[in-house]
Amino acid sequence: MDALPLAPARLWPADADGRVPYWVYTDPEVYARELERIWYGPHWLYVGLEAEVPEVGDWRTTTLGERPVIMVRSAPDTISVVENRCRHRGVKFCQARQGRSEQLICPYHQWAYALDGALIGVPFRRGVRKQGGMPPDFDPKDWGLNRLRVEVVNGVVWATFSDATPPFRDYLGEKFWRHYTRVYDGRKLAVLGYNRQHIPANWKLMQENIKDPYHAGLLHVFFVTFGLFRADQKSAVEMDEEGRHGILISRKGEQEVNDVTAGMPNFQADLKLADPRIMDVVQEFPGEETVGMITVFPSVILQQQINSLTTRQIIPKGPGGFDFVWTHWCYADDTPEMRLRRTRQANLFGPAGFVSADDGEVIEMSQQGIAPAPWDSALVTMGGREIADTQHMVTETAIRGMYRYWRRVMGL
Amino acid sequence: MTKDEIEALTFAYLECLDELRLAEWPEFFTETCIYRVIPRENFEAGRSLCTISAESRGMLQDRVTGLTRTQMYAPRHYRRFVSGLRIVGAEGEGLRLRSNILMVQTLVDRQSEIVLSGVAHDLVVRDEGRLRYRERVVVFDSEMVPNSLIYPA
Repeated sequence: MDALPLAPARLWPADADGRVPYWVYTDPEVYARELERIWYGPHWLYVGLEAEVPEVGDWRTTTLGERPVIMVRSAPDTISVVENRCRHRGVKFCQARQGRSEQLICPYHQWAYALDGALIGVPFRRGVRKQGGMPPDFDPKDWGLNRLRVEVVNGVVWATFSDATPPFRDYLGEKFWRHYTRVYDGRKLAVLGYNRQHIPANWKLMQENIKDPYHAGLLHVFFVTFGLFRADQKSAVEMDEEGRHGILISRKGEQEVNDVTAGMPNFQADLKLADPRIMDVVQEFPGEETVGMITVFPSVILQQQINSLTTRQIIPKGPGGFDFVWTHWCYADDTPEMRLRRTRQANLFGPAGFVSADDGEVIEMSQQGIAPAPWDSALVTMGGREIADTQHMVTETAIRGMYRYWRRVMGL
Repeated sequence: MTKDEIEALTFAYLECLDELRLAEWPEFFTETCIYRVIPRENFEAGRSLCTISAESRGMLQDRVTGLTRTQMYAPRHYRRFVSGLRIVGAEGEGLRLRSNILMVQTLVDRQSEIVLSGVAHDLVVRDEGRLRYRERVVVFDSEMVPNSLIYPA
């Protein structure tokens, strides 16, 4: 009897752009390299909204990759992002979700840091009655919290662990800068609230989900039936030059039977909402598009779906799961009616969303099928093997684009 | 409104949902109502965003339509455990209630797990000869929903 190989060969299928091998979603060594080269490499990661820390001393904790950080307003015009790990003995010292303080203090030995992370207090540094204390070569300047590079871009706080990351606008590229600034246009933002869910699936499956317009017009019967996202609507898929960021663009249609909807087994022409206020949509952005779903690699999805505006942060938790944090926001100067509209439309999204619950469920089911079969691979040839922008949604081109970039960064 | 009536309403409500008689669920609410399932974080900060929200029986019926006709989810059972049900005040003709709620979900081939742990703030009124919820706001502590919240609390 032949012995099974001890480690699965990390071979990429010969049909390089048309297949994605399942070991990319399960292999712990691949995941460890992702953390190093992607999450802690030259990429901007979503941290939060500037509006979450309005006053000096306001802070909020989150996680970038697997590393806990604190986003803090350290000066009236400065937001700092520092690692939530005491330089003394490694304590994740800040345990609350948010707060306001003058310093950041570790409870273990009371080491105190300024809001920008500088070490300003070490009890008994010079000993007690000439006994003990830190050695003469101890210089507090060398022992501040690890500070990340930060850019605050039209209300959104981005950070990176790497010195090699280009400025945020270059990281997006000009095409995606235009998409980004269509919604994040410089107006002040305000938080409507949060939803948090743990999805037991590899983090890349979430990126793929929002790079895949093909599923949106089939899986999401709610979208299809009420014309929010459907294959017969004018739409587009675009990528940045690297293939790592993507956007799905679409224009709302009507609940109508036509040559395309007739071919959709799930289309429900007779479905009516008993209270249609949830679908009271207003056109608020320039152009005729009603949907702009941006994936900013690797950490976030920026959602504009009718009047619902959210950031969906991805926090990887090993190869088999990730936390998904939804921040629903509005413009600070929105009318009460507009806030109510956005709050109502939020019923479509999040862990109980008419639409988004489908996604969480289906990518968990993906992981269940993928995990026991690392030698097998996904077929992503809808729309061909090209990696290029398209003017339709019957394509998996943006998934292909992401993996071409991923392979280059990962050296796999 | 007696304590017995309130208990009967509560048990009927739980039974209706535990037994997945979803079509009957909106009937437990007045025509205009407030139904919210909201993370504690949002509730305490006075933020409006809910995980599930409805302002009318119609919106609750639409939830049922979503669950039965448009949504895709793995099959599961929810069981709801209520404790500490009590009257905390009167408001007009109605009574304000408070209770703890725990929802346990069981999926095929899986161990049972807690999907939600929270507190329900209810306003119950007499409407068309029966007791109904005019408000039901379930504030949940659970920081991380185990993927989806499919059925109502």
